[in-house]
Amino acid sequence: MNSKVNFTFNGTRYSGEEGQSIAAALLNSGVTSLRSTRFNAEPRTIFCGIGICFDCVVKIDGVANQRACLIAITEGSQIESSQ
Amino acid sequence: MIAIIGAGPAGLAAARAIALAGISVTVIDAAQKPGGQYWRHRSTVDGYKATRSEKYFSTVMGNPLVTYINGAQVWSATRSEKSIHINYLQSGVEKILACTDLILTTGAYDRSLPFTGWDKPGSMTPGAAQALLKGHGVIAGKSIVISGTGPFLLPVAVGLAAGGAKVEGVFEANSPLRWLRSPLALLLNPEKALELLYYLKQFRRYSIPVRFGKAVTEFTGHSVRISDVNSDLTIKKANVQEIECNGIAAGWGFVPDITLGGILGCNQVVDKDGTVIFSTDHQQRSSVSNIWIAGEATGIGGSDLALAEGHIAGLSVIGKRIPISLLFSRFRKELFARALQVSYPVNPGWKKWLNRETLICRCEEVTCGQILDSVEELKAEDARTSKLFTRAGMGLCQGRICSRNVAEVIGASKEVSVTDSERIAYSNRPIAAPISLGTLGDGISSK
Repeated sequence: MNSKVNFTFNGTRYSGEEGQSIAAALLNSGVTSLRSTRFNAEPRTIFCGIGICFDCVVKIDGVANQRACLIAITEGSQIESSQ
Repeated sequence: MIAIIGAGPAGLAAARAIALAGISVTVIDAAQKPGGQYWRHRSTVDGYKATRSEKYFSTVMGNPLVTYINGAQVWSATRSEKSIHINYLQSGVEKILACTDLILTTGAYDRSLPFTGWDKPGSMTPGAAQALLKGHGVIAGKSIVISGTGPFLLPVAVGLAAGGAKVEGVFEANSPLRWLRSPLALLLNPEKALELLYYLKQFRRYSIPVRFGKAVTEFTGHSVRISDVNSDLTIKKANVQEIECNGIAAGWGFVPDITLGGILGCNQVVDKDGTVIFSTDHQQRSSVSNIWIAGEATGIGGSDLALAEGHIAGLSVIGKRIPISLLFSRFRKELFARALQVSYPVNPGWKKWLNRETLICRCEEVTCGQILDSVEELKAEDARTSKLFTRAGMGLCQGRICSRNVAEVIGASKEVSVTDSERIAYSNRPIAAPISLGTLGDGISSK
């Protein structure tokens, strides 16, 4: 139904459905951590899912602190862990 | 010019009432698609009464009287005597929408309580599980446990099971017998019994176990530990059961998003259960002239109440008479909302689950022990002072997730109740969404 969108996360290639958020596409691909926390280097990923908690922030094409739960994947985008 | 912030049930109901009267209106919303957090299905419609949304989507979208601005993150708003300016970001560009009358329908998000391991990947809110499933077609985990309190746990469990997850159990902390305290609300809302029957049928269909008086008090990353809880949420018997799973969705009701109305100076009050909401009159008018508020921001009541309130606000803005039948509809749904508060309280005993290592502030990684130390050793008197010492609530989420919990943990440690003014203080923030000074500067200079 939806077309496939390719992107990279920390250099590894992934794909998801068009319209899917970055967090959803990565979770569906088995990625369980989007970043490590600043102080204790603990893994974090989607928590509130609707842009409130900022736990899922990533760097998208060089722009840091973007909420992966809100932003849809786009073809060829390069996503990296914020920290 | 009339503007509505929010395209959930309340916002759409308001827009529909205005457009049906032949008057133009602008709806501005953060999401790409209308429906808010409640109606967020992608294409195929399922779930209880899900087709109801079509009526609203079709009257509002594609209507020449309705301007729909989507993907717009409103970060602030200002008002003068004559007009209200809504500042928003769309695709990274700062824009301004001016209006004379404003309806705020900013909705709510899940309330979370901290427990050991709630910060580990796999732990999320029921709202997140629902958003992943309905919005993105992704199940939150192959095997998942649902915990907390409130009727929202039911559709989340059913949705996950229907989506292919193994729902290991729904652990509702409160007893269903609490409903006996609200006979009038039940009598006046008979359709709710049908909704319950629908879910009971689905629970049987997917063999989802439901247990009352229990809560998840620890998540290890690959299992949850369940404790028996008393009605005040203190632990009756710890770790009575351990369930292997890869996800836990825990939710304890909702927190209204009141930031924008707060920035615009609309009067707030503390609801019986400690939730900060807006005070509105019988026509959904806020304390500020030309601003109406409808939906969860005036008290958590669910989509049915939000639809009635939005409808009333829409009619009121254009000076139309509110039919008695609509006012009665809101009244009985308000009674039901009160019954929800009585049936699903988040009583103070949850603080006893915490140990010194439990994380309270996720953003700044502040533990319960650090917060208690700021009170004991540094003599912090309240959440604000503790925040300055510990940074709890000073991270990217601006305290949206933890500030209530921080205030209540401190209140409990000092054996005082959190004051209304403190609750209003921790519930408000100077901006509604983060914006970089660079973007802000670009927006202004391009004007």
